[in-house]
Amino acid sequence: MKSDTLHLSAVYTKMIFRSWFQYRVDAILRSFAVFAREATSIIVVYFTLLKFDSLNGWNIYEMLFLFSLVYVTYGILIIFFTGLRDFGSTVKNGSFDRYILRPRGLLYQLIFANADWFAAVGHGGLGILLFLLSAAKIGVVWTPWRIVYYIFSIIGGVLIQGAIFLFLASLNIYLLETNSLKEVFYWNARKFEGYPISIFHKAIQFCMTFVVPFAFVNYFPAQFILRKEDMSLYPGIFMYLTPVLGIVMYILAYAFWRYSIKFYKSSGN
Amino acid sequence: MNFIEVQDISKTFKVNKRKAGIPGMIANMFAPKFEYKEAVKKISFNIEKGEMVGFIGPNGAGKSTTIKMLSGILCPDEGKISVGGYIPYKQRKEYVADIGVVFGQKSQLQWDLPVIDSFELLKAIYRIPEDKYKKNLDRYTDMLDMNGFINQPVRQLSLGQRMRSDIVASLLHSPEIVFFDEPTIGVDIIGKETIRSFIKELNEKDKVTMIFTTHDMQDIEQTCNRLIIIDKGSIMYDGSLHEIRNKYGTSRELIAEFNEETRVQPINDVIIEDKEDRRVSFTFDNNVTDVNKLMHEILGKYSVRDITVKEPEIESIIQKMYTGEAFV
Repeated sequence: MKSDTLHLSAVYTKMIFRSWFQYRVDAILRSFAVFAREATSIIVVYFTLLKFDSLNGWNIYEMLFLFSLVYVTYGILIIFFTGLRDFGSTVKNGSFDRYILRPRGLLYQLIFANADWFAAVGHGGLGILLFLLSAAKIGVVWTPWRIVYYIFSIIGGVLIQGAIFLFLASLNIYLLETNSLKEVFYWNARKFEGYPISIFHKAIQFCMTFVVPFAFVNYFPAQFILRKEDMSLYPGIFMYLTPVLGIVMYILAYAFWRYSIKFYKSSGN
Repeated sequence: MNFIEVQDISKTFKVNKRKAGIPGMIANMFAPKFEYKEAVKKISFNIEKGEMVGFIGPNGAGKSTTIKMLSGILCPDEGKISVGGYIPYKQRKEYVADIGVVFGQKSQLQWDLPVIDSFELLKAIYRIPEDKYKKNLDRYTDMLDMNGFINQPVRQLSLGQRMRSDIVASLLHSPEIVFFDEPTIGVDIIGKETIRSFIKELNEKDKVTMIFTTHDMQDIEQTCNRLIIIDKGSIMYDGSLHEIRNKYGTSRELIAEFNEETRVQPINDVIIEDKEDRRVSFTFDNNVTDVNKLMHEILGKYSVRDITVKEPEIESIIQKMYTGEAFV
């Protein structure tokens, strides 16, 4: 990134923080509310799963480790990809025209003008908490190689989900409304995340691996560290694919975006 | 070569045509019907550097579409646009660094932050050097009398204050061309006056090329010397304001107020109408009847207290153009 782009990114970030701190109480409550909302669903899962010894060989803390990857990646995701997640409304209310009128990259502006730091603190904070708790209980041994792998898988997991947002945002240019697609392909698919995919029907496993590859966001990276028995159901290479898949998917989505943006039609007055 | 060249540009939108009711909704889901709406049809015009041009026309005439194509938001289906050597929709980043766009209906300011913060953000976006930023900021805020509210959050500003801030926001990087899309909409009379004189001064002193769309004819009359009237996607008139009066607005109304009840005798080619309070209106065609002669005749024959000649409002001329009367 060039230095003046870096400077602009800093100014954008400063503006976002200042805007939020116009309403100080709300800003703090917002992070807390996100944290509490998501933590509640985890607590429900926790007490439900306490009734079982394990699910397909996964104990409760190993599953919390799966959940932690979901939240850590999502926390980072909404710093960078909120603008793409909400691209539909940006187009509909005409704000996207303003981005076009400014001498900066369109994707760059969408990313940095819309970073949602406060929700990120909520999601990310929960993710880190779950990670610390579960990793300690499982007794994961952190070798340097595992740490490097873990970091790259998180980046890969963020890019996989970012690519899905970017792909849906590009579709938005043709359809003007993709909320229901996003509901099916992102939010509903995400509900399966957090559980070992081996417990689901084959069709769902297939979807989670090849259609909306959430399994690569948490299940396969977690397998690399935990090595559970059910990994024998899948090719071993899947454990290493997350960073590559993230990069490949993002490049493809970016190419589709570049192609689609040429067809952008302003929404009119 | 002209500064702005527009050659035969057209733009057609595909509009989904929905039938009413639930059956229509279901039918639309399985077999959507589309309608093609030609927003702009083969428009051509040239604009020179430093010109101030007003674009007017009824809602849906194609003004905004034209502005959007000129500013590079939309790409024309056919035809060519060149502005200062750039092709707007192709060289986006280089081009938009040289233009400013004010949308009266859509602010580009940060809603929750003081005006000055939005300006700081724009300084970073446009890479405006510190000294130029400072100079422009001081000058414009002075001219528009903004010092009282520049540190207030945008959400607390009146519409007029917000509009002034938006205008400055689009000028900080010293653009060569500025597009104004309804810059006075909803602003009170004093606010409008301030905005108009500011725009005028900027055009005269800095030679900034300006293109304006508005519904307010006062805006045009006070600022623009050239007028482009557009309706149903085509240009109906392109020329000076003065010319349009001569061409299409030749009717005049003379009103005389008499000292006593007077019965006026008929005059050739003049329509005479009695009004209240001993006033009589004489309507005539400027090309047929000479005003001086008519005045002399009236002043010589009757005891007159007051006399006024009214030019037709530009608005009514244009109204006539829309309905086609002016071409008869």
